[in-house]
Amino acid sequence: MTRPAAGAFLAVADLHREFGGVRAVNGASFEIPPGRITGLIGPNGAGKSTVLNLIAGALRPSAGRVSFRGQDITGQPSYRVARHGIIRTFQLSSEFARLTVLENLLVAAPDPRGEALWQAALGKWYWRPREQEMVAQARELMARFDMSGKEDEYAGNLSGGQKRLLELMRGLMARPALLLLDEPMAGVNPALARRIEQHLLDACAGGLSMLMIEHELAVVERLCDPVIVMAQGRVISQGTMAEIRADQEVLDAYLIG
Amino acid sequence: MSVAWQFYISTVLIYLGVDIIACWGLNLQFGVAGLVNFAYIIFQAAGAYTAAVLTLGPAVPPSKGGFQTYVGGAHWPFPLPILAAGLVGGALAAVVGIIGIRRLRSDYEAMVMLVVSLIATSVAINQVRLVNGPNGLALVPKPLASLVNLSPIGYQWLFVGLTAVVCVCVYWLVHVVTSSPLGRTLRAVRDNEPAASALGKNVTGLRMLAFVLGGVIAGISGAILVEFISAWSPGSWLYAETFVYFTAIIVGGSGNNFGVMVGALLVPVAFLEATRFIPQFGPPGLIDALQWIIVGVLALVFLWFWPRGVIPERRRRFPTATADDRRRLALLPPRTGR
Repeated sequence: MTRPAAGAFLAVADLHREFGGVRAVNGASFEIPPGRITGLIGPNGAGKSTVLNLIAGALRPSAGRVSFRGQDITGQPSYRVARHGIIRTFQLSSEFARLTVLENLLVAAPDPRGEALWQAALGKWYWRPREQEMVAQARELMARFDMSGKEDEYAGNLSGGQKRLLELMRGLMARPALLLLDEPMAGVNPALARRIEQHLLDACAGGLSMLMIEHELAVVERLCDPVIVMAQGRVISQGTMAEIRADQEVLDAYLIG
Repeated sequence: MSVAWQFYISTVLIYLGVDIIACWGLNLQFGVAGLVNFAYIIFQAAGAYTAAVLTLGPAVPPSKGGFQTYVGGAHWPFPLPILAAGLVGGALAAVVGIIGIRRLRSDYEAMVMLVVSLIATSVAINQVRLVNGPNGLALVPKPLASLVNLSPIGYQWLFVGLTAVVCVCVYWLVHVVTSSPLGRTLRAVRDNEPAASALGKNVTGLRMLAFVLGGVIAGISGAILVEFISAWSPGSWLYAETFVYFTAIIVGGSGNNFGVMVGALLVPVAFLEATRFIPQFGPPGLIDALQWIIVGVLALVFLWFWPRGVIPERRRRFPTATADDRRRLALLPPRTGR
């Protein structure tokens, strides 16, 4: 068992989670560095999504610890984890269907004003200035993602690919310290996938740390360093993609076939 | 206008006001926050009983000629019973909410609420000491009647004005919620709970807030109603009454305060008043039974063909980019991809 270093950015130690006798995560430990895109790969059923859910607070671990920037966040509900600056995206698009694209982004903005009842009761003059800032930020983001034309469209009416973009934009709008991405390119065409890749590289260049589950190894090779390999609920290897390709255990578990 | 017509119209206006208030409360829960509260009518009933008991004064024991038993009787001056009714409606919502909406998926939540409604009726009927059982409360004194010296019709119009004032206050409350970032976040919770939670929204707290506010508003609507009709019994708040309000919201436009107002005008008032003028036919009670059926059919027809209602939820647009926005956009790094 590895002990998380005191100063680790995100450290996961000896994490366990069972679902009715099935050990989905069975003693996973790893750390991820700041300022990089860390890849999380492994065959289906390896426990990748469960680990992501455990970090994000969507599930509680049955044992083990998660710490973020030296703070223990194990078992906290997801909204508290989010307030620590860890924002996650979903494998299936999770847009707010009857909100417009712009409203979807505004909901994600950090430090909202007028979201508590007493603040709302104070009236527009109280929350409007912050709202205008948020709208300006959201419009910047939409321009960068070529989505300005969809500002007033209901998110539920977007195409599948546009929903994937919105999912990522909403994650970025929250200005996270760490962004957890669950297959951000699942089900999108290759051209859009390349655009999403480029957006992720841009975000990384801007200093954002990410942990990304991805099945397409070519994508992982281009974006991720380091890479963590999971199989049967455990971490079986980690390092650069080149190192992992040389690892016999990984080849046995995953890369063959 | 003849006095009879004035009585009729003022009575309909007061019912309309009560129904609008009640629909705004339910819309906050169902249309905005997505809470399927099939027990809504019990919060109106709780408010009505509270206002009645706090206006009636201490119960007179049967040995001294009293004909109704209830707990907590008091003679509170006029606006206080209505405010207390709001508090009790909210408190009951907090209790029911902690049991019913904290941990349940919305389909189970709807079932739990329906069961809660049936349990509440059963308790009110069988615990006779609580609020006089199946006979209910009667002879609730009219507010301000002893202070103002008006003709009966003058008092009717005074009550119309009072109902209108309460409508304005409740509108202010629901507008503050739905027009602010709070309303947007509640709609986000309605559309996708896990995603809202993952963005740092305390979903349980937000749902509880909407539930309790709806309970407060329901309680106030019940108080206005009981102060007007002076009587309240379990027959006034059968679980099916909740579905009249749901139908009003679906027909009017779920999520739109103005639409919901129109729905309250169309369904509980115009539609149910119209059936009053149908000549009596068939066995006694047939028209009443048909009313329920037709309300149900109305809800189904709208859900099939106009699920957004007569006046749909408003699409929120924001003023276009200001000079400041354009300046920020000019500072952006060159666009990538494609």
